[in-house]
Amino acid sequence: MFRKSRLILIALAVLVGACAPAATPTVAPTSVPTLSPTVVPTPTPIVLTDGLGHTVTLNSVPKRIISIAPSNTELLFAVGAGDQVVGREELSDFPEAAKQIASIGSVYGKINTEAIVALKPDLILAAEINPPEQVKTLQDLRLTVYYLSNPTDFDGLYANIKVAGQLTGHDAEAQKLIDNTKARYAAVVNKVAVSSFMPKVYYELDATDPTKPYTTGPGTFVDLLIRLAGGQNIGASLKDQYAQISAEEIVKQNPEVIVLGDAAYGVSIDSIGARAGWASIAAVKNKAVFAFDDNLASRPGPRLIDGLEQLAMLLHPDLFK
Amino acid sequence: MSDREMARQQDSETAGTSNLIKRSQLVTLSSRQRVISLSPYLISFIALIIALLLSIAIGAVAINPIEAIKILLSRVPFVHLTPDWSATSETILLSIRLPRTVLISLTGAALAGSGASYQGLFRNPLADPYLIGVASGAGLGAVIAMAWHWPSSILGFFAVPIAAFIGALLTVAIVYKLAQVGRTTPVTTLILAGVAVGSFATALTTFLMLQSSNEVRRAIAWMLGGFALGGWEPVIAILPYISIGLIVLVALGRPLNVLQFGDDQAKQLGLNVDRVRLVIVIAASLVASAAVAFSGIIGFVGLAVPHIVRLLWGSDYRRLIPLSIIGGAAGLLLADILARSILAPEELPVGIVTAIIGAPFFLWLLRRAKLQAFW
Repeated sequence: MFRKSRLILIALAVLVGACAPAATPTVAPTSVPTLSPTVVPTPTPIVLTDGLGHTVTLNSVPKRIISIAPSNTELLFAVGAGDQVVGREELSDFPEAAKQIASIGSVYGKINTEAIVALKPDLILAAEINPPEQVKTLQDLRLTVYYLSNPTDFDGLYANIKVAGQLTGHDAEAQKLIDNTKARYAAVVNKVAVSSFMPKVYYELDATDPTKPYTTGPGTFVDLLIRLAGGQNIGASLKDQYAQISAEEIVKQNPEVIVLGDAAYGVSIDSIGARAGWASIAAVKNKAVFAFDDNLASRPGPRLIDGLEQLAMLLHPDLFK
Repeated sequence: MSDREMARQQDSETAGTSNLIKRSQLVTLSSRQRVISLSPYLISFIALIIALLLSIAIGAVAINPIEAIKILLSRVPFVHLTPDWSATSETILLSIRLPRTVLISLTGAALAGSGASYQGLFRNPLADPYLIGVASGAGLGAVIAMAWHWPSSILGFFAVPIAAFIGALLTVAIVYKLAQVGRTTPVTTLILAGVAVGSFATALTTFLMLQSSNEVRRAIAWMLGGFALGGWEPVIAILPYISIGLIVLVALGRPLNVLQFGDDQAKQLGLNVDRVRLVIVIAASLVASAAVAFSGIIGFVGLAVPHIVRLLWGSDYRRLIPLSIIGGAAGLLLADILARSILAPEELPVGIVTAIIGAPFFLWLLRRAKLQAFW
């Protein structure tokens, strides 16, 4: 018996030992600038620290950018860098022009490293949706990767817009977008502040099992947007960011507004009302059940402000006449 | 006493009780006669070489075969070629496609070798590398590492595969321990303990995944398609475990043949059944765990490849195991080529392809064998 456990211990020790030398050099190579400085002799290279703490140096404005997350594609187009994007992640479907760009695979399958290398990118914009191993694989291939952390609030979004502008040489457009977004944000928040009514909102992500559909909990953008739009997210009391909530709890909470982030999958007010017990919910009775483009709230990109405006209109239709 | 002599003795001694074994021996002999002219090793090696070449030639980016050969040759010592190829092709070939090809071959070899040994050990055609906890344990280990964000810890990027490897081996060790009855470990108890511990580990994995919702996508991606880290590091990390484990399994072909007579008879024939069983479990679990750590839980290869080899060339484990190893490498390579070309540049998890293409192929072979009792 002891011999067996000792054998296994030895096996483990050998594994850790074998992996350690392989793992150590992996820490050292951060992004190496691949641009040759002879191309454009710019006196001031762009130097930024990314969300993983890597220093990213660009000696000239990148002309061949690959976006490996839908939110990043939207961000690049929003700051006017759409023409510099030569590759996009498969699910990047906004704006319309993005669909014309070559796809390099989906974040839900696997990003295709070969396709990325073949496009000879001078900048790859990654996001939190990309696993860190993927980022490291690209860096090991001596590609320049900037990892953009997800924002947690609108200030974080402004910071990301600013970075996107700096990286792509569109600082002025980025600043304009920030100012514009700030103004729209203030308009919504000021309007909503007038009302003392804070409707209870149930946001549905997925109701494959309608007895316990998925909703969004605290710390998500949906939660933040609902709060900013003058509502109370009934999922806010959950422990996790994305969790299943019991239908009984929804009926008990009796939300005044139901927002269907899963409307794209065929869920409607009729199908909601047909669920056992749901007909008694205030939102269903008052027909305050609305379809909503979940991409506006789940992608940490520039369209979050659209999401905020649309939610505010759904929650406070009287204020936005 | 040679294996065949033992088989004959076995047949005469227990004519009624071991009908299955007798038939399997007969099939082995007849199929041996059938393919005597064409060496199974030659055929499977050619299949492997074709698969290797295809895997290097086919990818999201087309590389001229002549260019590819030149690039490969330029890396051979004492060969000097002036590089007239593009740096992009060289990077894709040497830093992406070649390491991936090697990793996939090692994974396929490990899964099929381990599957063949488990099938022999448990004398059960349904046995696969995951029967006694490798998959569920590796999944649990990987998800623990992801949920607790170990990739940002000292182990760096290897945290997930190391955790998966340790999880798999620990689970098998626990199963083995639990299955022990006195001084022996009956295979039935081993299978049942494996199923129970596996369910337990899977439940924990699911719970952890739901608790750390941000990591769910990553965890699912790992299980389906393995680790997203490319390059040579994963190859170097698993090479020692898989090569040592597979050498041990190949060497155990004869004891595995003897085990087919049943524990009691094998003991009478002088085999230290419990020790052999332990060594097989350790070696087979070691290779399967190493494969799973980087490649995720790829189904069907470990189950079907040994059966395909058995259908073609019989059940002699001295040959079945090495042929399964070669066949597994070739088979998984072909599946991986399909996985990356069907929807290129998108990639399908290779596990989907192994089952979708592998299952009908396997069934066709099974039907073609005219329901001969090949097992």
